[in-house]
Amino acid sequence: MNLLVQGFLLGLANGASCLTTCAPVLLPYLVGEGGTVRRNASPVLHFLLGRLAGYLIFAVFAWEAGLWIRSSPRGGLIFGAVYAALAIVLVTYGFSSPANTCAAGSMGSRLTAVRSRWPAWLPAFMGLLTGLSLCPPFLAALAGATSQATLLSSLLFFLAFFIATSLYVAPFPLAGLIGRSQAIRITGRLAAGLMGIYYFYRGLIMIYGGLRS
Amino acid sequence: MTAGCRSTGATPELTKSPGKAVLWSLPMLALSLFMFFGQGGIPRDPLRAIPLFCTLILVNVLFYLMIRTGKTDRYRAVFFITMAVLFVISFLAHFQEERGSMALTAGELIKGRTPFCHMVIPATIIPAALSRTIIFPGSILGPYSIASMIVLWLGASLAMGRGFCSWGCFFGGLEDGFSRVRRKPWIRKIAERWTYLPYAVLVVVVVMSAVLLSPFYCEWLCPFKTVTEYFEVNSFQTMLQAFIFVGLFLGLVVVLPILSRRRTQCGLFCPMGAFQSFFNKVNPFEIVIARNQCKDCDKCIRECPTFSLDARSVSLGRTRISCVKCGKCVDECPTGAIAYHVKGTRSQWKPARARMLFIYPAYLFLTVFGGGMIQDGLYRILLLATTGSMVR
Repeated sequence: MNLLVQGFLLGLANGASCLTTCAPVLLPYLVGEGGTVRRNASPVLHFLLGRLAGYLIFAVFAWEAGLWIRSSPRGGLIFGAVYAALAIVLVTYGFSSPANTCAAGSMGSRLTAVRSRWPAWLPAFMGLLTGLSLCPPFLAALAGATSQATLLSSLLFFLAFFIATSLYVAPFPLAGLIGRSQAIRITGRLAAGLMGIYYFYRGLIMIYGGLRS
Repeated sequence: MTAGCRSTGATPELTKSPGKAVLWSLPMLALSLFMFFGQGGIPRDPLRAIPLFCTLILVNVLFYLMIRTGKTDRYRAVFFITMAVLFVISFLAHFQEERGSMALTAGELIKGRTPFCHMVIPATIIPAALSRTIIFPGSILGPYSIASMIVLWLGASLAMGRGFCSWGCFFGGLEDGFSRVRRKPWIRKIAERWTYLPYAVLVVVVVMSAVLLSPFYCEWLCPFKTVTEYFEVNSFQTMLQAFIFVGLFLGLVVVLPILSRRRTQCGLFCPMGAFQSFFNKVNPFEIVIARNQCKDCDKCIRECPTFSLDARSVSLGRTRISCVKCGKCVDECPTGAIAYHVKGTRSQWKPARARMLFIYPAYLFLTVFGGGMIQDGLYRILLLATTGSMVR
């Protein structure tokens, strides 16, 4: 019980900082999709579930190898790769035109085809990748999780941390209030693409740092 | 509108008489005399006096021609481009004098003496509101300060809306100049979705500046760092930043404007321009198209430097929100269907008078903002010619 309270309080205390990672990814996506407040609830939920999956994967990893990854500079390679993957998703989403589905073979058209079949995968995948990224509150949670005695306690700690930080993401469906015009949707998608370029840079810097160490 | 108006697309009752045009120009002459001589009279140093008189003549001759011919953009562009070029010369010489280099060092950042420019304004608002932090290493008061720039910008924005981008921005003239190099464009068609990119850049700049509490645009995206001040290159990051600045400048301010005859930095990238577009909703002036006179020749769509006209907007008789009120479409329209308009008045209410109501404050602002830059730029050129150095 004490473990859950610790994880929850840690998440609550640091959740605002979590927004610095989640907001630049999720907000442009929601604006780009142009959904209503009610319809936005679904992608936000998928995003959160993806993030939960990321946390739980990390909880296992943290318990197994958390100490190593915290102490080894080569951990940058892993997080850099996560950022690069997130960047590829965002850039492809942002700069592929939804009208170009006939451009066979392009990454954008494949993305569009996959999204039309499984609309939930993109926000969930973005959630997973942001869940695996190294933001300051996440590092704090990692430190807490690595000190747990068992795998189960590590998982529970991350679960409580996830629930508390998710409270800060709860208002995101309100992005639907901005409007649903074509212009706003295009702007949202392009903003997601630009954020992708930024994450790509961050990923490259991390990979470069990991390789040099 | 009269037949004369249709042929020129502008001010019939003024163009009839040179005397009337002189009369209309006299208030500008008086105001400019007051501005240029009101503070210290005629300088004794000829290197200072010559630029002052040259600027005074330039300002008033261009304004007279604007009134006399009814052409707005043609003469605005001369002033605007001159201002931008001489601003760069003046700015660089100033920093050579102050710092001995264009490079912005960590020491200078800590001193908080970085000149504040209007491009950063949108990014500073949210951090200032949320954390009472000005995320820019500049001084609050004094010349080149945050307060002085915000006051000037706010006044101009309320009066002109996005007209600021064509009548005040000291960077816009560079690409305006390059966009006029070729007579015909090589790149004719740019997909409409890219015209939304400035709004996306604005979103990213505002969000990242709030998240990182630093001026994200200045640090990563400003093309004009190439010709003003750049971060001292002493690491991989600063090297990458310099690479981005130069790449954006060459691409958006030089090459694309030459190839497309458009102001591509303003129309496809500038977050400040995107922010400024919203002021088009609250200022009293706009550009309107008289549908009963329009022949749908699409010349205005092809000529608009900032992609602010498209088939849909023309069919609705107005520009898109991004209009910079440069007057190029007004000048170019073969039927005189496009005109300046005062909001709240009838759709074809005295276009010549509406134009005068707009260009007087706009040109006055250009003179206030650009007059000093032109004078100092000319002074530096004269200094170079007479002493071999632009630095005193």
